[in-house]
Amino acid sequence: MEILNFLFEGFAIALTPFNIAMALAGCFIGTAVGMLPGIGPVNGIVVLIPLTFALGLPPESSIIMFAGIYYGSQYGNSISAILLNVPGTSAAVMTAMEGNAMTKKGRAGPALAMSAIASFFGGTVSIVALMLFAPALSKWAIRFGPAEYFALMVFAFSTLSSLSGKNLIKGLLATMMGLMLATVGLDPVSAVDRYTFGQLKLLDGLDFVVVVIGFFAINEILRYAENIHDQEVFTKLGRVMITAKEFAMSFWTMVRGAAIGFFVGVLPGAGGTIASFVAWTTEQRLVDRQGTFGTGDIRGVAAPEAANNASANGAMIPLLTLGVPGSETTAVMLGALLGMNITPGPLFIANNPTVFWGLIASMYVGNVLLLILNLPLVGIFVRILKVPGWFLMPAVVAVSFVAVYSVNNSPFDILLMAAFGIMGYLLYKTEFPLASVILGLVLGPLMENNLRRAMSLSDGDWTYLFSSPIAIGLWIAAIASLFLPLIIKRFGAASEISKEEVN
Amino acid sequence: MTTNLTDRVTGVFLLLFAIWYGYRTTLFKVSFMADPVGPRVFPLGLAILMGVLSLYLIIKPDPSPVWPGSKTWIRIGLITLTFIVYAYLMVPIGFVLSTTFEITALALIFRGPPLKSIIGAFLLSAALYSLFDILLDLSLPTGSVFRGLWG
Repeated sequence: MEILNFLFEGFAIALTPFNIAMALAGCFIGTAVGMLPGIGPVNGIVVLIPLTFALGLPPESSIIMFAGIYYGSQYGNSISAILLNVPGTSAAVMTAMEGNAMTKKGRAGPALAMSAIASFFGGTVSIVALMLFAPALSKWAIRFGPAEYFALMVFAFSTLSSLSGKNLIKGLLATMMGLMLATVGLDPVSAVDRYTFGQLKLLDGLDFVVVVIGFFAINEILRYAENIHDQEVFTKLGRVMITAKEFAMSFWTMVRGAAIGFFVGVLPGAGGTIASFVAWTTEQRLVDRQGTFGTGDIRGVAAPEAANNASANGAMIPLLTLGVPGSETTAVMLGALLGMNITPGPLFIANNPTVFWGLIASMYVGNVLLLILNLPLVGIFVRILKVPGWFLMPAVVAVSFVAVYSVNNSPFDILLMAAFGIMGYLLYKTEFPLASVILGLVLGPLMENNLRRAMSLSDGDWTYLFSSPIAIGLWIAAIASLFLPLIIKRFGAASEISKEEVN
Repeated sequence: MTTNLTDRVTGVFLLLFAIWYGYRTTLFKVSFMADPVGPRVFPLGLAILMGVLSLYLIIKPDPSPVWPGSKTWIRIGLITLTFIVYAYLMVPIGFVLSTTFEITALALIFRGPPLKSIIGAFLLSAALYSLFDILLDLSLPTGSVFRGLWG
């Protein structure tokens, strides 16, 4: 068994004390940022990127920590969802509805326990799938040339645009904005400077850490200024455990949730929110005989939690095997990897076996750590929710300043960050999806580069972009994905009707 | 009539931006063509796509969002002002002092109790400085005005 050999080597890397500490740090930060409404895994990862560069951390250790933040946040987001009815990230919306209904019945403990166990189940099952599918997909994707890559990125953008916002046109416009931001700086091929306006600091292009912190952290502060509030935290958890009967009852729900989550996660743009919604709706149709879903049914917590954890691991597949992320968090991880001179793509696993297998092994370790953090230690995390907003929000700003300043040791970046914060706030208010801007910014240079390489290969013949079956397939998929919102609308309308029938 | 004004204004703004962005490509000083496409085509393509999409936004706008009232805008203005002041102050007066001011200012804007805000701000700034500059060697500004006083 070749895979088992690789996996053993991976554990040899993941189980070094330093890498265990990195996984633990990632899981802890992930649970915390996932839990705090408004702060998500993107913030957690992006703030640490300049730090990992400055400390010269080995790439496998950095990616072990970043992945820990990503899947850890899928555990944490359910804590505030269950206790406060405020999802920590949008992937916990369904958990908030079902889990908070349990809290109101005095069953916060079992809801938290079910969420942790379902998260562990979905997380662990989907690592097995990731481990089996990623190498196979890499071998297939090795045939991709620049034309296929260009088409693949168009596909990623169109799917993300049609799935991540309410308005497809705004999603596409947001993508254009991101791609335009990516053109700032010296053109690597011809050394022409573009959109720098003589600013030497812009010659290297906009640093995505500065843009992302502005878009997410600063934007969040400005949104908090709209509505200054503190949450009443419910701290009577009761016993954080479920019964064997509840586990048995939820077992197949978790299996289906994990499978749905994984495959939805692989799709660009879909991610945890859609995964948990689809998983919850599926279970409602399959097992909800008494009409208890939505009123505090424990299976209604198990389904979305298994699904959103599995989707986080599924989302690692396009990132690692194709080098084309499908979500804002994986886009930020791509930026971090590129900064460490590691290019994810079909050759990634073959060229960096220590990074890939170390990561896979650490994910098994990390999920066990998270189960411990989230079952007996959940009370500690609940205390973080009690930090008042007037201190928490400024603290986020202070940490952001450290990160932004240490990118180039330049206060100019603080001004840029503030400008992007305001831009992010205006884009948020007008419902342009920020995920599309970020993906455009990170993939922009790769997209232009692949286009120009394709044109060099074909000597300027544009039909070359549509010359292989894979490329044509991706173009068709890209166009088809633009019609997804219409289909979802119909699906959504159907479920609205069924709800009304129940009532 | 005014219910979808926001998207129309945004659309017009993006259209003008796209025209300007596309026009800038003609000003690139391209001395030689290293590849058949060159540095102009990709940005020009983006500008054309954005132009077309923004026209669509002008013709079919969404309902406008609920914009916050003047109180929020004053707060947002104040917060932005603190960022600008911070960017100019942090190198001269150092990370600990400037960050203490910044966090205190933000905490007060967010209606924190004054004394607790100042103490919390100072403790957090000092903790961040110790962690990142002293422990992790990340080099945050110490403050050039203090250079004569120590080290």
